[in-house]
Amino acid sequence: MRLIVSAKIMNNKHNKLDGNFFGLRGTGRELDTIESEAFLGIAEAAINSAIRMGAELAEAYICNSKELKIEVRESRVETMKLAGNRGMGLRVVRDNRAGFSFSTDLSPAGVKDAAAQAIANCRLAAKDPFLQLPSPGASYPELDIYDPAIRETTVEEKIELAKSMEEAARSYDPRVKIIESSTYLDGEEEAIIANNLGLKLSYKGAFCGIYLSLTASEGDDSQTGFDLDFNLKYHALKPEEVGRRAAGQAVRMLGAKPVTTRKTPVVLDPYVAAGFLGLISTALTSEAVQKGRSLFAGKKDKKVASSKITVIDDGTLPGGIASAPFDGEGVATSRNVLIEDGVLKGYLYNTYTAAKDGTSSTGNGVRNSFKGTPEVGVTNIFIKPGSVPAGQLFSELEKGIYITEVMGMHTANPISGDFSVGVSGLLIENGQLTRPVRGMALGGNIMDLLAGVDAVGDDLKFFGNKGAPTLRISEMTLSGQ
Amino acid sequence: MVDKELLKEVLDTAAANGCDFSDIFIENRQTTGIRCEAGKVEKIQTGVETGAGLRVICGDSTAYAYTNDLSRNGLMEAAKIVSHAAACGKNGVNLDFTRVKPLVDFVFKERPEDVPTEQKVELVEACDRAARREGGDLIKQVIVGYGDVTQRVVIANNAGDYVEDERIRTRLTIQAVAAEGPVIQTGVEAVGGLCGFELFAAYPPEQVAATAARRAVQMLKAQPAPAGKMPVVMAGEAGGTMVHEACGHGLEADLVQKGTSVYAGKKGQVVAAKEVSVVDDATIEQGYGSYRFDDEGVPSRKVKLIDKGVLNDYLYDRLSASKEGRPSNGHGRRESYQHKPMPRMGNTYIAPGKTDPEKIIRETKNGLLVKKMGGGQVNTTTGDFVFDVAEGYLLKDGEIGPMVRGATLTGNGPEVLRIVEMVGSDLGHTIGICGKDGQGVPVSDPGHQGAHCRRYLQG
Repeated sequence: MRLIVSAKIMNNKHNKLDGNFFGLRGTGRELDTIESEAFLGIAEAAINSAIRMGAELAEAYICNSKELKIEVRESRVETMKLAGNRGMGLRVVRDNRAGFSFSTDLSPAGVKDAAAQAIANCRLAAKDPFLQLPSPGASYPELDIYDPAIRETTVEEKIELAKSMEEAARSYDPRVKIIESSTYLDGEEEAIIANNLGLKLSYKGAFCGIYLSLTASEGDDSQTGFDLDFNLKYHALKPEEVGRRAAGQAVRMLGAKPVTTRKTPVVLDPYVAAGFLGLISTALTSEAVQKGRSLFAGKKDKKVASSKITVIDDGTLPGGIASAPFDGEGVATSRNVLIEDGVLKGYLYNTYTAAKDGTSSTGNGVRNSFKGTPEVGVTNIFIKPGSVPAGQLFSELEKGIYITEVMGMHTANPISGDFSVGVSGLLIENGQLTRPVRGMALGGNIMDLLAGVDAVGDDLKFFGNKGAPTLRISEMTLSGQ
Repeated sequence: MVDKELLKEVLDTAAANGCDFSDIFIENRQTTGIRCEAGKVEKIQTGVETGAGLRVICGDSTAYAYTNDLSRNGLMEAAKIVSHAAACGKNGVNLDFTRVKPLVDFVFKERPEDVPTEQKVELVEACDRAARREGGDLIKQVIVGYGDVTQRVVIANNAGDYVEDERIRTRLTIQAVAAEGPVIQTGVEAVGGLCGFELFAAYPPEQVAATAARRAVQMLKAQPAPAGKMPVVMAGEAGGTMVHEACGHGLEADLVQKGTSVYAGKKGQVVAAKEVSVVDDATIEQGYGSYRFDDEGVPSRKVKLIDKGVLNDYLYDRLSASKEGRPSNGHGRRESYQHKPMPRMGNTYIAPGKTDPEKIIRETKNGLLVKKMGGGQVNTTTGDFVFDVAEGYLLKDGEIGPMVRGATLTGNGPEVLRIVEMVGSDLGHTIGICGKDGQGVPVSDPGHQGAHCRRYLQG
């Protein structure tokens, strides 16, 4: 469970650096290639096969994706990865029992086997009257999420982009000694969803991203820096900025030392704040609520956070890495205010949990890949920015700690909300960031943290599909020396 | 899965523009997953995935392509991509395909496909009942997950090696949620191994479930862990997340060579107390991180990483080994055909010492006893790491005191290894999935035994 790249982008142990992880999906588009027609034919064959074998409901999801990843180090291409992947997931309901199978074998025999497997898997599952599939929707949002420039740009230009990011980091400060990796990646994905209720949809999306992790050294001391930029538009990528920010982060941490245990105001940078937001995202799903493992169960219309906090999930967010016209079961995506001025407004739903609560899906049936069923999950989730310039959040403080890095966020308990993480950052003294601090521990409960927010910055920033501005918490206990 | 003659043609094409090394990894993976929550078997899922990963290495550059089209066309297309992406004009391809022999063998006794799904579902349901029985009314939710994977691989390279292997892994995870008033707590217990259904002879599933439930209930009464520095005793059964994070990752040769490990350049030097010997042994029977061959076709073996405090060796894959002109020691692993291999741990642990674990506890005046470790994370550049305490107790005057919750230990790897004071003679183990650069592989960290260190920071 090493940090650097993987853990920093995601706080999930089974992280995957690909489009699927970021919930990448694409625009609603006419099926325009021979390949797409073929995939739709395969999906229909799978559905027909399952219905013939006795399924009452059947849904096929086919995903065809391509990825490119270029890792540059010392101006040389260290790794170049180019690949394609496709497969089908088949969901069936028979006698109120659910079954699922997946396969990468899309031949007629493979499709038939997958259908037989899915039907067989129904047999031993528990009966559940709420198992449903969505009917075709009246309309789907139109979104701009396929930038042809991602495909059209040559590999050579993309290599140059990664090199320029590395160069920007190196020229920032001579103490930037090691570039662990300067990476460019992009992905293209086409998904086809069909079911026996007449739903037949496809979309195509693309994304691109860059990230950089590096080490700055002085004497025996080494510190790491990291930054990333994931985008739907190729020309919006800012390699120089990413390079400079990663370098700046490492350099300013040189000489970091623990300080004494203290109760202190704490300022969380957007990356850290987004990490804490990730901790509550599962609890905001109706699935967690219905199964008695959500901190927000039974709290609708009640105060659950400081009145400064508004949390929104928006599957239609312009430029959002997880934006798509519809979710993993073909329901139109939407914008959902989950917490407004500290008050809980609602939960996220897929078709199944909505049926259980007698409501409609919010378009949050998220698929991580063709290998799994659509589960309730977030799309683009973020804390709404406030009006205070981020710099003012420190300048008002006589003393405090600005936290820029958290270690072990994945060890936090999303059910109880308890967390205890390692933190590092910068000491705030008389309104200034004075010296670097590391090796401290921060423990508490996420609900107390949310209640304690006394200021929200205006600097919303996204890290993959999670976004947050700078947050200030009036008081927390930091353990140190 | 693929004809040898076709493999030769594919490797030949991949190396058409020259290379130092090229290989192909073909995989067929069949999986079963069963999930029970709220007393209902809500998911039974099966799947089959097939694919191939092709790699060409030229100097420091690697080109990698994968496909799940194993037809001649699909493979040749991937071969052409890598041949263009990496080219260095060197030739000398040996396609003898000599069958490589493993140094250790494993026998799978109860293969997943021979166990009826009914039996797997029954096991899951029995775990649900056992957890509820153990915890009574305080248990509000039980989640049981069962999974098995049968992975067949073919690995061939231009050095003439040819390996066919099969890995079967079985895993069971139980999460119990207990609540009393406003307090919600969880208990998690997981078992797994490179084996089939025989796993459950070694780990009776209902006992595993009861342990998870008991822990969740006990946590309700636990007091918040005190903050600050204190001596820590880690029980043998606690697992080895500590050693995994404190030094395991830092001993992976790719990080060492990039200079992003605190252990770089320290071979032959004292890096730990003399009581400490660290071993990675991927040949342990039924270990979750065990394998006959790594994912580059290199036979697995026991590697002594730290010998009585002295750094002895790093974990190598073929690429990092070739950079030092030495052979790989069998640690090139990958998540799937979609990923290039890199140095990874298998089963990592601190070798048992001589001290009676009871004595370690008796001799601790004030401190924390860790009976179960949770997840962790490390920054290999600084050596700073954290890990979660899933079950911990206060130690007072050599006696085990009340249970505490919310403890996370933070420390610095090299510093902690140097202040280990005693190493006990017991050895348990835990399993996990380890993530590095976005790739997860199964590992186990057999618990080292009551290592006793001072100056852990706890928050």
